[in-house]
Amino acid sequence: MNRIGLCVVLACLSAAPVLAQDTPPPPTPPSKLWIVAGGASGTLRGHCQECGAEFPFRHGGAVVGNGGYRVNSRMDVGGDVFWMQWNKESGRIRATAINAVAQFRPWGSKGFFVKGGAGMAFVRNWVQTIGPNPDNQKALSVVFGGGWEFKPKGPLGLQLFAMQHVGALGDLQTANGPIPEVSANFWSLGAAIVIR
Amino acid sequence: MSLLQTTAINVFYEIANLARGQVTAHISPESWWENMQQGMVWDLDDFTVNQIGHPYQGNNYFNAGRANGLSFYESAALTAFGSATWEFFGETNHASLNDFINTTLGGITLGEVFHRVGWLIRDTGKTGKGRLWSEIGATAVDPITGINRFMSGDSSRVTEKPSDLVPASIGGVVSAGALWRGSQSSAFTGKGTPFIESDFYYGDTNVGRSRTPYDAFWLRMRFGGGSAVSEARLRGRLYGQPIGRGAVNFSVIQTYNYNTNDAYSTGSQAIDAGIGTTLDLSSRTKFWVLGWGGLTVLGAVDSLPLGVTEKPQEQEPKAGQGVSEGPRYYDYGPGSDFGGLARLTHDGRDIALFFYVGRQIYSLDGVRANHFLQQARVDLLFPLHGSIGIGTSGEYFDRRSYYQDPAHTIKTYRYPQLRAYLTWRHR
Repeated sequence: MNRIGLCVVLACLSAAPVLAQDTPPPPTPPSKLWIVAGGASGTLRGHCQECGAEFPFRHGGAVVGNGGYRVNSRMDVGGDVFWMQWNKESGRIRATAINAVAQFRPWGSKGFFVKGGAGMAFVRNWVQTIGPNPDNQKALSVVFGGGWEFKPKGPLGLQLFAMQHVGALGDLQTANGPIPEVSANFWSLGAAIVIR
Repeated sequence: MSLLQTTAINVFYEIANLARGQVTAHISPESWWENMQQGMVWDLDDFTVNQIGHPYQGNNYFNAGRANGLSFYESAALTAFGSATWEFFGETNHASLNDFINTTLGGITLGEVFHRVGWLIRDTGKTGKGRLWSEIGATAVDPITGINRFMSGDSSRVTEKPSDLVPASIGGVVSAGALWRGSQSSAFTGKGTPFIESDFYYGDTNVGRSRTPYDAFWLRMRFGGGSAVSEARLRGRLYGQPIGRGAVNFSVIQTYNYNTNDAYSTGSQAIDAGIGTTLDLSSRTKFWVLGWGGLTVLGAVDSLPLGVTEKPQEQEPKAGQGVSEGPRYYDYGPGSDFGGLARLTHDGRDIALFFYVGRQIYSLDGVRANHFLQQARVDLLFPLHGSIGIGTSGEYFDRRSYYQDPAHTIKTYRYPQLRAYLTWRHR
């Protein structure tokens, strides 16, 4: 190879990475997936319309998860799962709430969000049961709350949240007879990983 | 801005309640803390307040979003925010679960319909007096968007209407006449009761692929006929997808229902899935049919405890104005619904209508019962001259309440209703 040929080859080789750097990579379409998984500290308080009982606050760990569809940069819709277990002197109770939810960030670039939805709750109760097996009950469920999401534009983020789940049971079946019109409020304070 | 306006709406309602002398308007940080500690409960308010008043308030939150450029779903989340903050901080009453659901879901349905009707009334291509009156008319229907437009100066700017707020078609019938009711035990006795009813069709829920919520909806309102508002029914399409070659259309529909008659008073918020089609019977005659089924998120139905035959006269509350002490003579619960609407049209004019809806409500709060409510109606319409016509309809209401008492009591109530009316049609 003569000197001129060598210069051309070297020039091409040296230009190649420069050209690659100048051409912007094709934009990756934003993912439509919305996943949230985390844990929380939960507090529960029951209420009945007419029984006159004072229900205490009870505490326990909770697991939360969301999965769904990213509508746009400010809006996600999907499902919400909330699981909490707490212990009483006479046994334990587990509640699982499954809701359809919408999450909205009023400022797309900032992390503040509000969330709300409705669905069903399932309560599995080992306390004061009529027979030896736990009582399973279904309830109307509502959820709402808000929080702050760090790195809301990235594919991986972290959110801190405060949520309230409400479960309207109707009659709570116990060994001492049904307690009418029972509803339960679950407050949770936690953190979760966000994948988009 | 939308969050700020939603809070301003709550402040407005709070001041209005204070001015009306409502005891529940005397809020304080202590009442906020107590409400947050208590959590949500069922409330004991009047049926109309809960089933019409709260959805209307929710429509204001929703349109605080729409007026500030938020999308339908973004405004829906804003409605939930406004509703929750009102429940915890707007009244000394404990936050109410039924109010939260009715305000949010009812507010979304009424809000988007009022927003779209407001944009039908508003004529943004005009100037002068005509323009001003169109903006005032639209503001009466959707006050929040209207006030925003007057404040920003948009109310006098000549622009195109937003394309997503222009319907593919509109049509409607207004009817006025008399209604005769039967009873459980007797045929049609007594004199007729006057009523005015309107059916309004915005777009066509049976046509096209749709990802724009409420680009098609059906609104039925009836005033009179036994009570001031005896029926309000809204069915807005959230999603539409043609199936196969497009002959059949699948849709997801959000509904708001309010109906009061001698057999039952009911109100509900539901999400339905529907299948519809339009058949061309001839070049001028079409048969339009839609069937649906779905979930009632929360339904209310009037109900008396076993052994009580008549609702007692309401007493003045002892705890002060605005405090509901009960008892409440209606039940709340989730449930299911199904139904259908069929229209036979000739040259675009309705000749015959058939409507049926069945709704089941499982009571979670109130009398322990499972309620099954049905309504079937057939209308026959005849053109007279131009847009004017006459019509007659037969309607049948059926109610069965399955009580969860040891005797498994079942109570039924059914009665027919007849109507004769004049119609005015808009196309």
